[in-house]
Amino acid sequence: MTYAARSVVSDGTTEAMLPRPFRVTSRHSETPDTVTLEFESEDGGGVSFSPGQFTMLYVFGIGEVPISISGDPHRPETLVHTVRSVGAVTAAIAALRIGDGIGIRGPYGVGWPMGEAEGNDVLLAAGGIGLAPLRPVVLDVLARRDRFDVVSLIYGSRSPVDLLFEQELHSWRSRFDMEIEVTVDRSDENWFGDVGVVTGLLPRVSFDPTKTVAMLCGPEIMMKVMANELELRGVEPERVYVSVERNMKCAIGFCGHCQFGRDFLCRDGPVLPYAQVADRLRVPEL
Amino acid sequence: MNLRSMRESSELLTSLTNTELEFFESLSREVHLVNGEILFEEGGAAESFFIVVNGKVGLEMTSPGRVPMVIQTLGPGDLVGVSWFFPPYRWNWRARALEDTTLIAFDAAEVRKRCEVDRDLALEVQGVVAEEVVRRLHRTRIQLLDLYRTT
Repeated sequence: MTYAARSVVSDGTTEAMLPRPFRVTSRHSETPDTVTLEFESEDGGGVSFSPGQFTMLYVFGIGEVPISISGDPHRPETLVHTVRSVGAVTAAIAALRIGDGIGIRGPYGVGWPMGEAEGNDVLLAAGGIGLAPLRPVVLDVLARRDRFDVVSLIYGSRSPVDLLFEQELHSWRSRFDMEIEVTVDRSDENWFGDVGVVTGLLPRVSFDPTKTVAMLCGPEIMMKVMANELELRGVEPERVYVSVERNMKCAIGFCGHCQFGRDFLCRDGPVLPYAQVADRLRVPEL
Repeated sequence: MNLRSMRESSELLTSLTNTELEFFESLSREVHLVNGEILFEEGGAAESFFIVVNGKVGLEMTSPGRVPMVIQTLGPGDLVGVSWFFPPYRWNWRARALEDTTLIAFDAAEVRKRCEVDRDLALEVQGVVAEEVVRRLHRTRIQLLDLYRTT
C-alpha cells in the first residue's frame, strides 16, 4: 500500500473545507460512553488513509470535531471512528444510529511512522481512548506481519469496563505473533488481569531498544512517563512517536488554533517524534 | 535456583556483585503456588521476600463484607514485599497468586542480620529497596491522577 505524504494540505482550501456526506452503517458500543461507528460515503468513494491520520466529523447544526481514524487502512471503503462522548459534538456523534447522516472531511495530518517501523521491533503503548488511533497500526502490521520484527502492544485503561476493542485484544493475542499486555488502574471482582500503570508492563514485553520504533498514544502525562521509561531502557527519543492533540479547527494548517510551538498539529502532526516535542510538552501554557 | 541466570530478567539483581548474589542464593528457596494460593497475609510477620520467576502475584486489600481488591499485580522479575526491610517487619497487604506461580523466597531475617555487620551489603540492599519503593510511589501517583477519566 502507499502512504500519504507527510503534508496533506489540499490544493484548494474551499474543497478541503467541504464535508462529504456519509451515513452510519454499523454501530458498536465499546463502553458506556464510547462507541465505534462505521461510515460509508454517499458518493460511493472510499477514504484512503495512513494509520494515525484523523478526519473532521461534522454533525449538522451542532459542530465539528477532529477524530482519529480507528479503522483498517486496507479497507478504505469503510471509514471507522471510535468516539468517546465528552462534549456536545461527541455526544451527538455517539448518539448516531445506523442510517443517520454526517459530514466528514479529510483524512488529515501526519500519521504513525509505518515506513520507519518496517524491519524493526514495534512497540505500541496506549492509554484509555488512545488505543483507537493505534488500532489501524495493529491492523496494518498484522496484515503485513512479515515486514516487522517483534511487535508488542501494552494498553492501560481506567477499569475493566473501560477497555476498548476487548474481543479484538483476545483475537490479536491468540495469533501468537504479537505480545499483548493489558492493565487497569482500578480492578473489580471480575478482573483477573494486571492492575497498575501502563509503564509497569514494559518489563513484560520483549523488544530490542536499539531497533525499536515506539508509538505512544494516550494522555500526555502517560506518554511523557512512558517516553522517559523507554529512554532509560535505551530507546532513543527520536524513535519514540507521540500523538499530540490540541484544538483543531480548519485541519489544513491555516487557522492556527492547533499551533503547538512551531508546529500546526493538524498539518505537521498529530504524530510527532517525542524528541521534537518533549520540551514543549513541559510548558503548561502550550 | 541460579540467581545469575535471572539477572537479565530482574532489574533488582543487576547491581549485585557475584559475591552478593552467592550470599542471596544461599538464603533462597523456590516456592510454587497454585492459582489463588495465599503467599502472605496482611499483618503477618515479614520473614521472607520474593522475586517472581513466572506467573503473577496480586497485592490485595481486604475488608469485611467486600471482595478482596487487587491494587497491584507483580510479574516475572518483580520484587514481592518491601516491608521485610523496615520495622515492624509486618506485611501491609495480602499477596495471592493470580495464576500458577513460581517465586524465589529469601530469608529476610538472615539478610537483615548480615546487613548489620556488612555495611556495603546494607547500602546495596537499601538502594535496591529504595529504588523499588520510589518506582512504586511514582506509579501510585500516576494511578491517583486518574488519567483516563472522561472529564
